[in-house]
Amino acid sequence: MNNVIAVKNLVKKYKDLKAVNNISFEVVKGEIFGLLGENGAGKTTTLEMIEGLRKPTSGTIKVLGLATKKEMDKIKEKIGVQLQSSAYYNYLSLKEILELFGEFYGKDVDALKLLEMVGLISKANSYVGKLSGGQKQRFSIIASLVNDPEIVFLDEPTTGLDPLARRNLWELIAKIKEQGKTIILTTHYLEEAEVLCDRVAIMEKGRILKIGETHKLIESSKDPYKISFYAPKIDRNTIKELENMGNLSNLGGKTNHFEMRLKSQSLLNSAISIIHKFSPESLTVGRSTLEDLFIELTGKRIEE
Amino acid sequence: MFKLFIADLKMLLRNKQALFWSLFFPLIFTFVFGSFFAKGDGGNGTLSIVNKSNTEIAKNFETSLKDTGIFKVQNDDSFDKAKELMDKDKVSVVVYIPERFGSLEPNSPKKIKIYYVPTNRQSESIVESFSDKYLTTVNMQIQKALPIFSVEKEEGNKPKFNYFDFILIGLIGMALMNSSIQGVAIAMSKYKEDKILKRMTTTPVKSWQFIGAEVFSRLVLNVVQVTLILVIGTYAYDAHINGSIFLVYVLSLIGAILFQSIGFVIASFAKTTDAAEGMSTAITVPMMFLAGVFFPIESLPKWLSSVVQYLPLAPLLRNLRGVALEKNSIFENPNNMGLVLVWIVIMLLIAAKRFRLSEE
Repeated sequence: MNNVIAVKNLVKKYKDLKAVNNISFEVVKGEIFGLLGENGAGKTTTLEMIEGLRKPTSGTIKVLGLATKKEMDKIKEKIGVQLQSSAYYNYLSLKEILELFGEFYGKDVDALKLLEMVGLISKANSYVGKLSGGQKQRFSIIASLVNDPEIVFLDEPTTGLDPLARRNLWELIAKIKEQGKTIILTTHYLEEAEVLCDRVAIMEKGRILKIGETHKLIESSKDPYKISFYAPKIDRNTIKELENMGNLSNLGGKTNHFEMRLKSQSLLNSAISIIHKFSPESLTVGRSTLEDLFIELTGKRIEE
Repeated sequence: MFKLFIADLKMLLRNKQALFWSLFFPLIFTFVFGSFFAKGDGGNGTLSIVNKSNTEIAKNFETSLKDTGIFKVQNDDSFDKAKELMDKDKVSVVVYIPERFGSLEPNSPKKIKIYYVPTNRQSESIVESFSDKYLTTVNMQIQKALPIFSVEKEEGNKPKFNYFDFILIGLIGMALMNSSIQGVAIAMSKYKEDKILKRMTTTPVKSWQFIGAEVFSRLVLNVVQVTLILVIGTYAYDAHINGSIFLVYVLSLIGAILFQSIGFVIASFAKTTDAAEGMSTAITVPMMFLAGVFFPIESLPKWLSSVVQYLPLAPLLRNLRGVALEKNSIFENPNNMGLVLVWIVIMLLIAAKRFRLSEE
């Protein structure tokens, strides 16, 4: 069997609130699978039920063929978990923490090798409190690797990091994937999911709105083509004409700065030739993104 | 889970601030109370003797007075000089033996003079009764009379202890209580806030292993704590631990387990570390003053003492004092031990029900 995680009809109720409302999905061995959505969409609750931290109200979860309800102890040996914004012991050095956690699994950990992997070797004897946000996050991820797990769970691994630190983490996550491990992560950065994830599930209000291979999902968007342009000389009639061809929106800020999303290649071509007549000062043509799909599905953007 | 135990111990020792509160704070109390209340043996002050007579009787009287060991005795040359010393509070009683006292000549002085100020009434009465008795014996010898009635003395088998000894045991209880309740409550809440507890549950470590390592590492600290207080109390301030030191440690550790379980209960209720800090202060401070650390509960008003005698610290201190000061066995009064065990069971039940490494 190729599925390392199988979730079926999973429900988690808190009093009247259905935090997770009857979702099913599988995660395939060796892939990076992303759960996307806003805060409160149910991503973390779903992840923590798979990790055995929360008990499902109903539904079944199998990890590596083992049911979480009965065989969590065996599962724990084979998974690595990084929790959302979790800290580590204050008064142990990074090296000591890694070795201690390795001990929990009965394994001798080469702490220095793990630290080297994320460029923290010079901090081996420092306390966690001395690390920057990005370093903490990288440490938190390698701490989930001490038992050489088959599946790695990352909950919002890049939240709160600056763009450079975020890119560093993407490289790290890709490196972990290269080692043949399966990764399941949650994020509310759609760009991140687009770059990293082989497959994604878009969640809202405890449900999965859409699930599939990332690039195919984007292609399945109603208007997969996108033009953005800045044409100060454009006139009202032309704007009307373009509005009939696709989804035109004024981007705000500068006047006459537009974004247009279109259904087909032919419509794209004709739109471009119309815009060209007004000698636009900038014109970019591209395909729509996961964010466009998200807006299409939910009618809103994800706020930070 | 030996490695976790070692790691916990390391962390306890590296947390300098917490270490200060658990180890040195009680020692400050020991120093303060030791300096105020600790007295050496026979704390009745200094006695000045002015002996102007060189008769046999006068000499023997002086020697006997020195040999009692009740007073530190010093010789002074003149009565006036001795009085001056007393005004300066250097001596508490002056004994004046006039010239030719003790010679049997008819016109020689027959009285020894004891001079004192009213605040030293207690010391005076000791000197007076000693002198009285000594002179009565001398009188009878001279008249060749034999005593008909006399007193038979027997020393009580309950060892003596003073106020500082009482306090020293109280301070041990206070130290155990403060460091265990606050230590556990705050550390566990912090772990909860930082999601360290949750992170633990994702590993194969069992809750009992995690908690066990935590509890045992703190017990090691408690042993150090008790040892420091005992050593400083006995060597620097002459405290008397009359009973078994071993049993003092046993009771201390039982107490520490009780207070740690209270700490776990607090951590299970507190939503934040700050809340845990507040809650543990609210529990430890009243207990410090009401459960008999500094003065006996019996000296409180009856309505209050009948309630506070059941506070967790109270039966522990009664038992500790019984063992340490009066050489009792742990079960001398089974109610004390029973009450401590009942508290432990109650706290463990609540903790077991409410304290979770991760929320559901």
